[in-house]
Amino acid sequence: MTSKYRLIWQLSEGERLRYGAAIAALVVASCFLYLVPLVSSIVLDGVLVGDPGAAPPFVLRAVEAVGGAEFLGANLWIAAATIVLLTALAGFFTYLRGRWSAEASERITRRVRERLYDQLQHLPCSFHDRAKTGDLIQRCTSDVDTLRGFLVSQVVEIGRASMMLVIPLPLMFAIDARMAGVSLVLILPIVGFSVTFFRRVRTRFLAVDEAEGRMSSTLQENLTGIRVVRAFVRQDYEIEKFAASNSEHRDLNYGLYRLMAGFWSASDVLCMAQIAIVVLAGGVRMALGSMGVGTFFFFLMVVNMFIWPLRMMGRILTELGKATVAIGRLNDILEHPREENPVEPVAPMPVETPGEIVFREVTFSHDSGGAALSNVSFRAPAGSTLALLGPSGSGKTTIVNLLLRFYDPDEGTIEIDGQDITLMDRKDVRERISSVMQEPFLFSKTLGDNIRLGRATAAHEEIAAAASTACVHNTIEGFDKGYETLVGERGVTLSGGQRQRVALARALLKEPVLLILDDALSAVDTGTEALILEALEKRRGRQTTIVIAHRLSTLMDADRILVLEGGRVVQQGNHIELVRKPGMYRRIWEIQNALEDELQRDIHVAAERVGQEGA
Amino acid sequence: MNSYQDEHDYYDHPIDLKLWWRIIARARPYRAPLGGLAFAGMVVAVADVLLPWITAAVIDDAVTAGGERIWTYGSIYVALAFIMASMVWVFIVLAGITATGVAYDLRHAGFRRLQELSFSFYDKRPVGWLMARMTSDCARISGILPWALLDVVWGVFLLSGITAMMFWMNWRLALVVLAIVPPLSVVTVVYQRKLIRAQRSARRTNSKITAGFNEGIVGVRTTRALVREEENLKEFEVLTRQMSRYSRRSALHAAVYLPIVMTLGALGMGLALWRGGLLTGNVLGLGELVAFIQYAGLFHIPIQEMAQRFTNLQEAQASAERLQGLLDTEPEIDDSPEVRAALELQVRKPQAGRAIDGGQDSISEIHFDHVHFAYIKEEPVLTDVDFRVRAGESIALVGETGSGKSTIASLMCRFYEPTGGAIRIDGVDYRRRSLHWLQSNLGMVLQEPLLFSGTIRDNIRYSRLGAANDEVHAAAGHVGADAFITDLPDGYDTEVGEGGDRLSTGQKQFVSLARAVLADPQILVLDEATSSVDTETERRIQKGIEAVLEGRISLIIAHRLSTIRAADRILFIDRGRVIEEGNHAALLARQGAYAELYSRQFHRDAETTALGSVAQTRGTE
Repeated sequence: MTSKYRLIWQLSEGERLRYGAAIAALVVASCFLYLVPLVSSIVLDGVLVGDPGAAPPFVLRAVEAVGGAEFLGANLWIAAATIVLLTALAGFFTYLRGRWSAEASERITRRVRERLYDQLQHLPCSFHDRAKTGDLIQRCTSDVDTLRGFLVSQVVEIGRASMMLVIPLPLMFAIDARMAGVSLVLILPIVGFSVTFFRRVRTRFLAVDEAEGRMSSTLQENLTGIRVVRAFVRQDYEIEKFAASNSEHRDLNYGLYRLMAGFWSASDVLCMAQIAIVVLAGGVRMALGSMGVGTFFFFLMVVNMFIWPLRMMGRILTELGKATVAIGRLNDILEHPREENPVEPVAPMPVETPGEIVFREVTFSHDSGGAALSNVSFRAPAGSTLALLGPSGSGKTTIVNLLLRFYDPDEGTIEIDGQDITLMDRKDVRERISSVMQEPFLFSKTLGDNIRLGRATAAHEEIAAAASTACVHNTIEGFDKGYETLVGERGVTLSGGQRQRVALARALLKEPVLLILDDALSAVDTGTEALILEALEKRRGRQTTIVIAHRLSTLMDADRILVLEGGRVVQQGNHIELVRKPGMYRRIWEIQNALEDELQRDIHVAAERVGQEGA
Repeated sequence: MNSYQDEHDYYDHPIDLKLWWRIIARARPYRAPLGGLAFAGMVVAVADVLLPWITAAVIDDAVTAGGERIWTYGSIYVALAFIMASMVWVFIVLAGITATGVAYDLRHAGFRRLQELSFSFYDKRPVGWLMARMTSDCARISGILPWALLDVVWGVFLLSGITAMMFWMNWRLALVVLAIVPPLSVVTVVYQRKLIRAQRSARRTNSKITAGFNEGIVGVRTTRALVREEENLKEFEVLTRQMSRYSRRSALHAAVYLPIVMTLGALGMGLALWRGGLLTGNVLGLGELVAFIQYAGLFHIPIQEMAQRFTNLQEAQASAERLQGLLDTEPEIDDSPEVRAALELQVRKPQAGRAIDGGQDSISEIHFDHVHFAYIKEEPVLTDVDFRVRAGESIALVGETGSGKSTIASLMCRFYEPTGGAIRIDGVDYRRRSLHWLQSNLGMVLQEPLLFSGTIRDNIRYSRLGAANDEVHAAAGHVGADAFITDLPDGYDTEVGEGGDRLSTGQKQFVSLARAVLADPQILVLDEATSSVDTETERRIQKGIEAVLEGRISLIIAHRLSTIRAADRILFIDRGRVIEEGNHAALLARQGAYAELYSRQFHRDAETTALGSVAQTRGTE
């Protein structure tokens, strides 16, 4: 709870003065506003009625000051002009209040958005593994909007409501203390009722939001999986499923309306009762001649002016309830610890280092439990190619994730050029690595810009060269706008293979110390893959390379091959060594050779048959 | 990736009555609550008009008659207060019924429509865009309806009530006070317009911000791997700065508008005091003067309120237009009237052993009869594709990515229909059969398996909702998926997460295979995965697939050699044409495109198989 307010306090840094000025403007505006009924009251009591007995003394003095009752009576336009002038002044300060509070809160909102974005980019991968994208987006958009609403209007409204009550108090008591007391009888119950209601209703708002979230995710799943729905003709089932969450949301939302109805009508009764008390007490005292019509009018107007905003307090406070929830949800993100960097990272190494990779007895398990890697050790000399082979879940991708410092090992060390990477700045580690994943992510920029992300300073020729190595240059040139083609929904939709090749070009452009290809060509067709591998072969020695693939041909030329199983290294060596030793690798190799013979036989048989048919 | 398309510039358009009429027509079931709402608004307006009149009466009574009827007026006041409060309760509850009800109905209708619409519709519209229509647009439209009605009724009655009261008390003074109405209206119109424009820009930027967040979250690992955090933030900051500017601008318009209106209201009050003050004593009672001043001060409130609703309505118009557009979209692929008639006939007079549309239920042959297809005119995707598949036969579609294999599969599923030629089921054009019938006899296994959140059991059972647990387990066992499932701590009750993302790709494929088997379809369309899983898993999946294919008409987008070789016939597709057709041996002997592809593929596949075999022998050791 306190951390939420601390967050608000922190975020308002630098805007507090402006907020303060807005509140000051609010006070001044309210002061002017209350003078308006006072003018009418003076005119009514001091001029129109002309009954000095009923009018408070200061009214008479005021009338005298302007030139006496008769003069004022003959020149009522002066009073009218004063009313307009006072309101205009109040209006001017209201404008300042609006302007300043908007400026302050928009700046704060902007800061929140930027902080969130920045934070999300720096949260540990374990956070992103657990979080749902939709939920995060919801927080970053609608929760931020709620916070903005809180800053733009609620803060000001609460200020206004309380100022509207506080400011006229001295004036009211000065004019007629007993009447002032009567005017405030029900204020506490009204505020108390609002506050209690607000406390009760908070969880209901939360429940509605959650129901809405469930409804959205049902919808989202349906839309993304629409092909499956159709393939199994489950439309009716889906309609029912959606109807269930839709009606749950409706019912909860309606429940909220009922609550609000109860609140508004009950608070209306209270407010109108307060006004009735003023009217009746005023009527009695006017009839007794102990109070003038003007004074009555003044109290009636003043009560009307402060009671409605006060009643609004209930709504503002419920909004505040929403805002508290939203701030809490934002806080979950903002207060979550970022990816840690060593307190004193070692001095950044020069960008161009040889690129020797060493794993020393590395053990790692995911939060969900189960060892992903146990006691893995290997060394990849600078410029060499290391291949990882093994069934899924054997720990290949975990090795990549550890190298990129998406996670840190539980035990053991990973070194790049003799430097323990956990002691390095994460960015420093990542800057020397290029990785291409099986399902690469492209940004909604042009193809050229996407590749340029590898190295911002790259010239167009270099981009084209990287694209050529990745066998995607011709594909790109084939688009109408070439490298200027937008990726994503507003642009072209690329096939999996095309995306992989663009990502490869991006990775190559970076000229990394370590290149990681994590099943990076799986969606590329065989012919193209051969071309790419050939082009990569020419770059051999320029960087250390780690290749993960399911195909032996991609791996067999590697300097060293690691065979993994269940998070352990079961065999390692180069192709020749591994083929000589009995073990998993050799058997794979033998079977492959046997199959190669089979291919030859296949073709032979087919050719013979053609020969016979021809004969 | 979700996308957030720019909102169109509907805001400058005048209120489109025809459109709103159609939306209002959807609120027809809520006629009674809406009627009640209007009534409540009217009552509240009348009470609002009467309250100043009562205070006037109290004053006049106190001043001239010594307060003899003060308790009468007091009682009337209290009665009015209670009537008002209860009306407030009534209209909020009724607004609740209408708003939540209309939202429900709109979403329900929208969802229903989305289930019917063809894939060509989905191709053009990203999921995020559709989500926005179904969530925020529905909320906006349903939220505005009851309140707009209430405020219009209340505002109109209040304004006319005040006017009437003023005229009744003193028509000359009324005319003077009413002088503020023209400037009030002009200012309101001018500023609401400015406000709407500023808000439009803000909203547009807002959708870009959402897209920015989306990309930042989805691409977080890539960003990190590329060490792009700061550059990304800089790009994002351009948007937030823009947003901040537009929001401030619209706040500024509001900040200017309010003081002007306030001052105009004060002008009315001043006029009442000045001109009315001159009249007191002879034609106007003191109480009446007080009432006049109050009325003059009240005038701008309903005008402001109605202007606000008008703005909301204009904003909501864009939502209404898009949603109505969605609801109006007709599914391109649907049963023809004849088929619908046949369906009804079969319901009324069921013929035993017949399909739901009265046609033959078992399928013995599918014929792609000179099929042509293009998503966009003049860009043919398929040209003159002609082949037959008979019951128990499997056809492998082979060719490079983008050659048209997936399109053939989509046509088979009738996700799209041929733009030329026909697809015939036992000689009958499938457009003359029921879509539902075809699709319920068709199983599909996708390359990228899609699962729904829920348990593994739920996901398998998705293909046959009535299936017993035994049947689910049997289906999983049949494709070899039970091994990994029973290894999981929660077994079949394991939650798969959003989109199945708590399972690995291989596990998802197993589940989707089991799902297909449980449905036991006559036709199976299989989009075979490329090597996205390791060999061991792939080997097992391969066996699973073989189990699925048994005894069905199957169409396979094949990548694995074993699948291709096992197929009864192979179609080699190149740029939308079948360039070679025959069984494996025949095609190989031809030494054409297929033979070339085959030997290339062979190397790739051989290694896969090899690694798989090793893993398998290890398993048996």
